Amino acid sequence: MTGERPGRSQREQGDLSIEDVSKRFSARGKFIQALSSVTLTVRRGSFVAIIGPSGCGKSTLLRLVAGLEEPDHGSVLVHNERPQIFRARGELGIAFQDPALLPWRTVRRNVALPFEVLGMPAGDYRRRIDDLIELVGLTGYADALPAQLSGGMRQRVAIARALVTNPSVLLLDEPFGALDQILRRSMNQELERIWMASPTTALMVTHNIDEAAFLADQVVVMDAAPGRIIDTILIPFSRPRSSNLFAAPEFHSVCDRLAAALELCGTAS
Amino acid sequence: MTGTHAKTALWFVVALLLWEGAARSSSAVRDTIASPISILVEYWSNTDLYAPHLLATIRSAALGFVAGNLVAVAAAILFGRFPALEGAFRGVNVALFAMPPIVVGPVLAILFSDHLPQIVLAALVVYFPTMAATLVGLRDIDPRLVDVVCAYGGGPSAILRFVRLRSALPAVLAGLSVAAPLALLGAMLGEFGSGVRWGLGSFLLGSLGNANPARLLGIGFAATAIALLGHGVFAWIGRRAVGAAMAVSIAPERSPDQIALAGKHSWAQRAALAAVALLLPFLLWGLLLRLSHISPIIAPGPIETLRYLVSGPEGADARHELLAALGHTLPLTAAGLASGMAAAFIAAALAVLRPGVTKAILPVATLLQSTPLVALVPLVLLLFGRDTAASVVMAVIVVFFPAYLLLSQGFALVPRPARELVEMYGGKRMKELRLISLPYAAPYVFAAAKLVAPRALLGVMVSEWLLSGKGLGNLLNASRGSLDYDMVWAGTVTSILISVAAYQAVTLLERLVP
Repeated sequence: MTGERPGRSQREQGDLSIEDVSKRFSARGKFIQALSSVTLTVRRGSFVAIIGPSGCGKSTLLRLVAGLEEPDHGSVLVHNERPQIFRARGELGIAFQDPALLPWRTVRRNVALPFEVLGMPAGDYRRRIDDLIELVGLTGYADALPAQLSGGMRQRVAIARALVTNPSVLLLDEPFGALDQILRRSMNQELERIWMASPTTALMVTHNIDEAAFLADQVVVMDAAPGRIIDTILIPFSRPRSSNLFAAPEFHSVCDRLAAALELCGTAS
Repeated sequence: MTGTHAKTALWFVVALLLWEGAARSSSAVRDTIASPISILVEYWSNTDLYAPHLLATIRSAALGFVAGNLVAVAAAILFGRFPALEGAFRGVNVALFAMPPIVVGPVLAILFSDHLPQIVLAALVVYFPTMAATLVGLRDIDPRLVDVVCAYGGGPSAILRFVRLRSALPAVLAGLSVAAPLALLGAMLGEFGSGVRWGLGSFLLGSLGNANPARLLGIGFAATAIALLGHGVFAWIGRRAVGAAMAVSIAPERSPDQIALAGKHSWAQRAALAAVALLLPFLLWGLLLRLSHISPIIAPGPIETLRYLVSGPEGADARHELLAALGHTLPLTAAGLASGMAAAFIAAALAVLRPGVTKAILPVATLLQSTPLVALVPLVLLLFGRDTAASVVMAVIVVFFPAYLLLSQGFALVPRPARELVEMYGGKRMKELRLISLPYAAPYVFAAAKLVAPRALLGVMVSEWLLSGKGLGNLLNASRGSLDYDMVWAGTVTSILISVAAYQAVTLLERLVP
C-alpha cells in the first residue's frame, strides 16, 4: 500500500478486520439501519480516515471497533481478537470530538486514567505519562485542570490519554471537530508527527476532507440510509507531510476527488 | 451577586428597625409580635433555658441527618446500579416523600424510647431529598466519560468509581443542603409526638399556652437560624466543591417521578414491578414489627389495622371519627394548596413582566424555603390566632415559596431567542408572556404541585395539632394522649395514604394533559 511506513511487513497477519457488519438502532419504534453489511480491513500500522454525511454510521463503526457497541450481524476482529478482549490489555486508544476529560482531575491524572481503569499502578508509568504530555506540547501544564486550558489544549490532553498505553490501535472520532480551521491544521500536523513516533494503526472519523487527505493513507467514503461504504480512495503522499502540502495542487486534486465521491452520496440508493 | 446580598442585608436591617419602631410606638404591636430588642433580651436572660433545648434538638437532628443521609446515598448507589430495585422501592420512596412527618412521630414514640423517635424521624425526613439528588447526580453524567472508561475495559464498578461518584458530588451536597433544615424539622416534629422534656419542639409546645410573644418568636427564630446555618454550610461546601471547573445548576428538590427511569420493560414486567412497589411498604411495615417483637396491641401490623377499621368492634366509631377529621382537614388543605399555587404562579409570571421583582423576591424566597415550617407557628399564632384561618395560612406559606422558586425557574428557562422573536415583531411583554412564557412554564405547574401538595397537608396538620385542636392533626395528638394505639396507627396510615393519593392524582393529571 502506498504510504505504508517502513519497517512494517505487508504480510503481517491480524489486521483490523470488519467483516459483513450490520447494526441497527431503534428510536421511538422506528428502526434505523446504521450499518448495512460493511466490510473493511485496516492494515497494521496504516492510517485510515472515514468520511461521509451525518448519519452514515461512521461513528457507529468506530464504536464497534472499540467494543462500545455489539454488531447485530457480522464480526469485528482486532488483530484476531474480539475488541473486548483486545482492549482489556490497554492496546486500544480512543479520542472523541469532545475531549471527555474528567473535570476534577489534573492533566497528568487525566492522562493516567487508562492505567487506573486497566488496574495497572499509574505510579509505575509516571515517566511515560510525562513523556506523552511533553509529546503533545503541554509541558508545564501537567498540574493544570481542564477548565484552565484552551479547547485545543484539552484536545491534546485527550490525544495524550489515547496514546499513553502505547496502543497498537488508535481510534479517533472527529477529535478536532470543534476546533477552527487554523488550529485544526496545526493539530493535524502534530497528530501526524505523534502517530509516526509511535507504531500505531489509526482509524479516524472526520467530516473534514482536508484533514482526511492530509493524514490518511486511505480514505473510506460512506453513505447514509443505510450506512455503507461506497468508495475507498488511496492517498499517495509521502511522509512526513509538511504544511506546504495544504497548498500543493496535487493535494487539491485529491481533495476534489474526495469531494466528488462525497457528492455521490444520497444519489446511489 | 455580592450586590444583591448587600441589598438584601440592607432591607433586612431596615425591616428590623421598622419593626422595633412600630413596637415602641404601639402596645398593640408590642403585644402581638414583640420587638427585636425584647427578643434579644429574652435570649440573654434565659440562656439556661434555651441552651439545653437547643442542644437536645441539634443532637437529634445531627444524628438523624448522618444516619438518614448514609442510607440515602447507599440506596441511591444501589438504585443507580440496579434500576429494577428502584422500581420495586417506588412505593416506599413515594411514601417517604409524601408522608406528613408529623403523623409519624406518635408511631415512632410507640416503637422507640428516649431521643430515638426524633432521631429516626429526622433520618426519615432527610432520606428522600438526598437520595433523589444523589441518584440524579449518579445518572446525569457525561456519556463520553463512560465511553472512555469502557474503552479501557472498565465495567459498571469502574464507571462508578472513576466517573459517577465524583460527578455526583455537587448534587449530593445540594441534596444535603436541602436535607439539613429538614433534619431540624424532623427532630422538632418528633418531639411533639414523643413528649420528651428537652428540645426546641417541646419548648415551643410548652410555650404556646402563655402569651409571651418574645418567647414564641425567640423559639421560632432560634429554629430558623439553626436550619439556615445547616443549609448554608452545605450550600457553601457545594459551591466550593463544584468550583469553576463545572457550571452545574441543580434543581434542589425533586419528586419521585423526576427520578424514575423510563425503563424498557414489557407490560407484564411493569405490572409486576408496580405490584411489588405497592405491596412493599406494607410488607416492610409488617415485617419490621414482627422482627422487633413489639406487642401487636401497641404496634398493630397492616392486617390488624385494616381489621380495626373495617370489622373490629370499634370499627364504625373509628371510621366515623376519621372521616369527620378528614372532612375538616382536606378542604383546608385544598384551599391552602390552591391559593398558594395561584399566588406563586401569578408572582412568577409577574416577574417576567418586571424582571427586577425576581431579583428582589428570590433571596427572600430561598431563605424562607429553608425555614422549618414549625418555626412559623409562633408568627402565625400571634398574627392569625388559633382558628382555621391559621391552618390555611400555614398551608399557603409552605406552598408558596417552593412553588414560586420552581415556577420562576420554569419561566427563567424560556429560551431567549423565542422571547426576542415576539419583541422583534413589535409584540409587547404581555403578548410575549401569553404566547411564549406561559406555555413554556406550564409543565412546571405540575412539578410544583407534586412537590408542595404533601407540604400543604403537613402545614394544615401541624397547625391543627398545635393550634386549632381540630381535624386529622388533632385526632392523632388526642389518640396519642389517650393511648388509643389502634387509632394512632390508623390515623398515621390514612394520612400517608391520602398524601400519596394526592401526589399520584397530580401525576395522573400531568399525564392526561398533553
